[in-house]
Amino acid sequence: MGQLVVNGLALGSIYALVALGLLLIFNTVQIVNFAQGQLLMLGAFIGISGAVTHELPMALAWASTMLAMALIGIVFMVLVYFPLRGRPPFLVILTTIAMGIVLENIALIIWGPLPVSLPSPVRGPPLRFAGVVISMHQLFIFCTLAVILLLQYLMLTKTRFGILMQATAQDLHTARLVGIPVNRTIAVAFAFGAILSGIAGLLVAPIFLAEPTMGGSLGLKGFVVSVIGGFGNLPGAVIGGLFLGLIETFGARYISSNFRDAYAFIVMIAVLVAWPRGLFGEKSSEKV
Amino acid sequence: MTVKHWFPLALGVVVALLIPAVTHDNYVIQLLNIAILNAIVVLGLNFATGWVGQINFGQAAFYGLGAYTTGIAAKAGLPWITTPFLSVVIVMAASLVLGLPTLRLRTYYLAMTTIGFGEIVRLIIVHWEPVTGGTSGLRAIPGIGVFGIGPQGQVQHYYLLIAVLAIAALVAARIRQSSLGRAMIATKDSEIAAEQSGVDTTRTKLIAFMIGAVYAGLAGCLYASSIRFISPDSFSGTQAILLMTMLIVGGMGSIPGCIIGAVGLTILPEALRFLGQWYLVLYGLGVIAVIVLAPGGLASLASRLPRWAGAR
Amino acid sequence: MTDQAIITARGVTRRFGGLVALDDVDLDVPKGIVQAIIGPNGSGKTTLLNALSGASHADAGSIRIDGKEIFRLRPNRIARLGLARTFQNIRVFSNLTVLENVKVAAACNTPMSMLNIMLSNGTQRQREAEIESTSREALEIVSLAARADDRPTQLPYAQQRLLEIARALASKPKVLLLDEPAAGMNMTESMTLLDTIAKLKGKGITILLVEHNVRLVMGISDRVAVLDFGKKIAEGAPSAVQQNPLVIEAYLGRRHRHA
Ligand SMILES: Nc1ncnc2c1ncn2[C@@H]1O[C@H](COP(=O)(O)OP(=O)(O)OP(=O)(O)O)[C@@H](O)[C@H]1O
Ligand SMILES: [Mg+2]
Repeated sequence: MGQLVVNGLALGSIYALVALGLLLIFNTVQIVNFAQGQLLMLGAFIGISGAVTHELPMALAWASTMLAMALIGIVFMVLVYFPLRGRPPFLVILTTIAMGIVLENIALIIWGPLPVSLPSPVRGPPLRFAGVVISMHQLFIFCTLAVILLLQYLMLTKTRFGILMQATAQDLHTARLVGIPVNRTIAVAFAFGAILSGIAGLLVAPIFLAEPTMGGSLGLKGFVVSVIGGFGNLPGAVIGGLFLGLIETFGARYISSNFRDAYAFIVMIAVLVAWPRGLFGEKSSEKV
Repeated sequence: MTVKHWFPLALGVVVALLIPAVTHDNYVIQLLNIAILNAIVVLGLNFATGWVGQINFGQAAFYGLGAYTTGIAAKAGLPWITTPFLSVVIVMAASLVLGLPTLRLRTYYLAMTTIGFGEIVRLIIVHWEPVTGGTSGLRAIPGIGVFGIGPQGQVQHYYLLIAVLAIAALVAARIRQSSLGRAMIATKDSEIAAEQSGVDTTRTKLIAFMIGAVYAGLAGCLYASSIRFISPDSFSGTQAILLMTMLIVGGMGSIPGCIIGAVGLTILPEALRFLGQWYLVLYGLGVIAVIVLAPGGLASLASRLPRWAGAR
Repeated sequence: MTDQAIITARGVTRRFGGLVALDDVDLDVPKGIVQAIIGPNGSGKTTLLNALSGASHADAGSIRIDGKEIFRLRPNRIARLGLARTFQNIRVFSNLTVLENVKVAAACNTPMSMLNIMLSNGTQRQREAEIESTSREALEIVSLAARADDRPTQLPYAQQRLLEIARALASKPKVLLLDEPAAGMNMTESMTLLDTIAKLKGKGITILLVEHNVRLVMGISDRVAVLDFGKKIAEGAPSAVQQNPLVIEAYLGRRHRHA
């Protein structure tokens, strides 16, 4: 029981990280990136290339992955976001999905279809108390989420970038008129959004192994979390993530592990039926 | 309808009817049969997505529900003639259950609920093994037959399916020419103006969604009883995305566009097999290129063609 | 309450957060007249039309059209009860032809059956023929018949406004709400528009005309109501309203405050 809670929270932390990446992009340009899971997968594989293939020290592998992810995020923005600025969300969804397909298959070409593992950056015997085992990697996941949450909170509320981002989100046109470097702000958002999913990938790979097709369901989970937690809501994303991790872990244990991936969707559909704009959903009133 | 309309239509029909005379390759004909079935499903998708503008990733699941209903019923010994009706009843019930509470959702949420629906249906198919055969699917499904009469061989099935596609396209065209079709497009263009013109937009959305599900359900029924083998892969989330891209690439809202997109994107991967994994990379990039450069799809390019050729 | 009032609104109130866009507004519009609603920018005119037409419901109040309570009904129900409108920012159906735009509304009280559509039988063809003739008549009234097969986006701005009027007329309304129909029109076009409005009044349609160009509406209106900050500050014959010090203050005073 206690063990399930720990495992659920560790899984949920990863979902929360994916959701935080989505949130950063959504908060700035109001688009939902359906390729976020594939970015996560790239993060995992770049980490593996560094740490396993090229035998770099772990810290260096992590640092180079984050750098690579930032670049990928910006390329992603140029390819997907710029050409579709102001087009209906419908088309943006499809474009990001198509981009996900591209990334997934490039990964298959480069790294092949077989699952590979990435060692955890932390070593050491697991902690035990009251019959509950917490591995060092799980502990590391919790700490990473806490640090990132803190950093993201500070960045959004205390730094110039956070203010620029909010202004851009509220009204792109006006933001540009008053001299905000809109494109640079958006680029930073995409870069950080990609870095966050890259980190999630680096954290997932030691648990589940990495394979090119891993992104699809993880990306969707990130989205489910955003719906449960409310789009653009920082604590909501974390709480939603942890909640989903627990639901899946307990559902798999007590109901059926066959339907593990369905629980997220069932919860999400239930939430949306009751609150069509999400739990903490934005209230918008369209002008007629 | 003028010559300008009739000519491409007649040409298409003639080409379609002559294909089996040109090739006797059963593999090619079977591929075309699947292409035709996909075209029916995409025509169905066009109601809710092309005309009403509602994103829908659940269409593959309706396709699958239709196919599995027929597969299971036929294998249980029910006469073939009952299977289209059973399939339609099941998909109508499912589309009502999914559509009623969710069609008011905004784009992203609707996209996700339909993806979720598809995933739930897929998981049920995969894990309800005693009935659905699990991942290995259902084999040797009894074929189409009414009182012992039915098509034999791929070519006869091809003609049958072409006829069904023609009817499906005709019904779609008639809906487009009716107040229902106009209400669908009005709902997409401006929901509030449509409402103020007396259109019940909620009902219109639901009807479009349900008609689309019925198209998919019937195509699924024909898939199961003409291909005679079904497995969850044919109706997965990947398939749902593929159906959506067929619609976009062909041209949302255009009936010939749906057919062109579905047939093209069913055949293309086979024709480009030698590209291996690169095919899917190019496919993804191609979809992005179409969305960015030709939002009206291939159908809109085709309508520009006469002007390029200098004709009027 | 006059018994021949076709619109009777009582205590209509609409809030947007802290802003009270409509504050306890009463309105009685007798059958067959042209009633103008004027007021400075942001005074709540569009919000009032939205409340009447159901596009954006009021928070409180009572609205009767021809004796029927319509408060909080869906807009399509209200439309089918005989209330049609146009929009301040044009909302035509850009993926339909001009004629089809009008047909959408013309079909408003025609029953629809899937079976008839699929069979395209006699009943269906007759219904479509009726819808078509209603629609062509409506286009005729605003002189757009020649553009029937064009896309609305190919029309100049002023004609798109006329198309919206034709669309509204096609539903054979008892009441027609026009939200700044002359916006973006030049002098000649505005004059033609006024003629059209007079013609419609002649057909017995009650017209609620929102404008902030006061001079334009004075000649054609039978009655004028003035909104300011969501409150109805004056109502009566055009000449009387024009002299009303509160109205002058609302229009001129605002300009002074802005300067
Ligand atoms: N959806 C909305 N959300 C928030 N505030 C709104 C909304 N719609 C209108 N308002 C506010 O309500 C007030 C009245 O607006 P309304 O559009 O009714 O004015 P109006 O008289 O039609 O002005 P105009 O002459 O500019 O058309 C304005 O202050 C406006 O900003
Ligand atoms: Mg207004």
